[in-house]
Amino acid sequence: MSLHALIIEPLSHGFMQRGLASALLLSISGGLLGSVLVLRRMALMGDALAHSLLPGIALAWLVLGRGPLALLTGALVAGLLTALGSALLSRLTRLKEDAAFGAFFLIAYAGGIALINQAGTRVDLLHFLCGHILGVGPADLWLSAGAAGLTVLLFTLVQRGIVLEIFDPIFARAAGFRGGWFHLGFLALAVLNLVAALQTMGVILALGLFLLPAATAYLWCDRFRGMLVLAALIGMAGSTAGLLLSYHTGLSSGPAIVLSLGVAFLASALGSPRYGLVSALQLAWRERRAVRHTAD
Amino acid sequence: MHAQPHHHDIFRLRDVTVHYGRRCALEHLTTQIPCGGLVALVGPNGAGKSTLLRSLLGWLPLTTGEIRLGDHHPRHLHPRLTYVPQRADVEWDFPISVREVVAQGRWPTLGLFGRFQPADNTLVDRALTELELTALAGEQIRRLSGGQQQRMFLARAIAQGADIFLLDEPFNGLDLSATAELIHLLQGWQAQGRTVIAAIHDLTLARKYFPHAVLLDTRLVAAGPTADVLSEANLAIAYRHRLPVLGARP
Repeated sequence: MSLHALIIEPLSHGFMQRGLASALLLSISGGLLGSVLVLRRMALMGDALAHSLLPGIALAWLVLGRGPLALLTGALVAGLLTALGSALLSRLTRLKEDAAFGAFFLIAYAGGIALINQAGTRVDLLHFLCGHILGVGPADLWLSAGAAGLTVLLFTLVQRGIVLEIFDPIFARAAGFRGGWFHLGFLALAVLNLVAALQTMGVILALGLFLLPAATAYLWCDRFRGMLVLAALIGMAGSTAGLLLSYHTGLSSGPAIVLSLGVAFLASALGSPRYGLVSALQLAWRERRAVRHTAD
Repeated sequence: MHAQPHHHDIFRLRDVTVHYGRRCALEHLTTQIPCGGLVALVGPNGAGKSTLLRSLLGWLPLTTGEIRLGDHHPRHLHPRLTYVPQRADVEWDFPISVREVVAQGRWPTLGLFGRFQPADNTLVDRALTELELTALAGEQIRRLSGGQQQRMFLARAIAQGADIFLLDEPFNGLDLSATAELIHLLQGWQAQGRTVIAAIHDLTLARKYFPHAVLLDTRLVAAGPTADVLSEANLAIAYRHRLPVLGARP
């Protein structure tokens, strides 16, 4: 297949251009948000949050129509209810945060699927869950641009607060930085970006565009800023490759992008010279040999 | 040995109570802690040592009472007042270098937006030099030894320009030589008039090197010269709920 047929022809379509532009924009904010998720050990919590948006989005779609503003409102309400509900449960009952979050997101997810089923053929469930590149309209592109712009702006402004909040929260308090804003702001930004990523990525895999590039970059970087930049670049490369894969094979765009990012992640997890599996095993093996030698 | 501390250099705690949810971590604590020297906060696990340190920083909400240093609320005292975390409380795999951590010491002064000036860089360099970390400045922090990690946080505190240092279990996880090194360092600070208030569970260390002590068991058991505070009778009170094996064996 020629280069033209592989890359240039697909990108001559308006829907592909919109889909790609949206994915590239969200790769930037996704790299930033994903890095916080990875460093703060909130990856699974983020996944639960993403899934819990489904009923809000489904309800908004059915009642208000499929404009981005309607979806955003529905998702924000669902996300905030999940976050607040699980926070209340984990603070005031013996349930811990993971159990509370897990229970909430399962219930929300089931409710969302029930709502979509109720709507019958009006909405294709698979498009909702796995993403559909044809669904990216001009308004969605504006939402992506807004979400990415706001995320980058806030990260640039409060980078010191973010670093301290993850690295040493008590020193952050002592330095006069407020933690409450961090949590609330992060939650709102995450929901905003998840909704923007919805058309391309689908509800199940939306977090993939955030989490995988950051986890990959974490295996290579020893500096926070470097990690943010590399995560954004990996996200951009992966979403480009994934969209082309989706175009040529007919695979839904969400899984196609996540699989492309997955290749980069697995390769890094194995082969990263400092933090990869292979080098860790080599080191362990060398140490064992050294111990045996001294024992002899 | 030391001159009487000036009124402005005494922490005054009046009826301080702190709750975490339903649990009471400190109860009606009234005492004075003089600055200018090494002060040990001693007591069994859960006695409120860390809570007291964080209260002294001024951002922990008090259920009752108040804390003042001289006439000031402690919140208005950073950068003078700084906190050195327990090593276990920090994310060591964070992608950050030693120098970047020490540079965080300037952030309380610069705030979220203030730009680093040459003067700030000089302060950071000087702190790295004082704690003999210059050669390690570019390393990712996980690669440091326990003693070096502890020194990195002390360097951050120095870069902040602090003279009152609140240390949470600074000797935890340090081997003998690193412990000796840290004690030597803190004694040097004492001679320079710096104040170190440290939560410590090792009574031997407290007795030997900390002239002033506060003994806690969520309430105040005793405060004053360490030899008096850590008497058999006081320790029996503070550790009365603990199994004898875990308790205070001086």
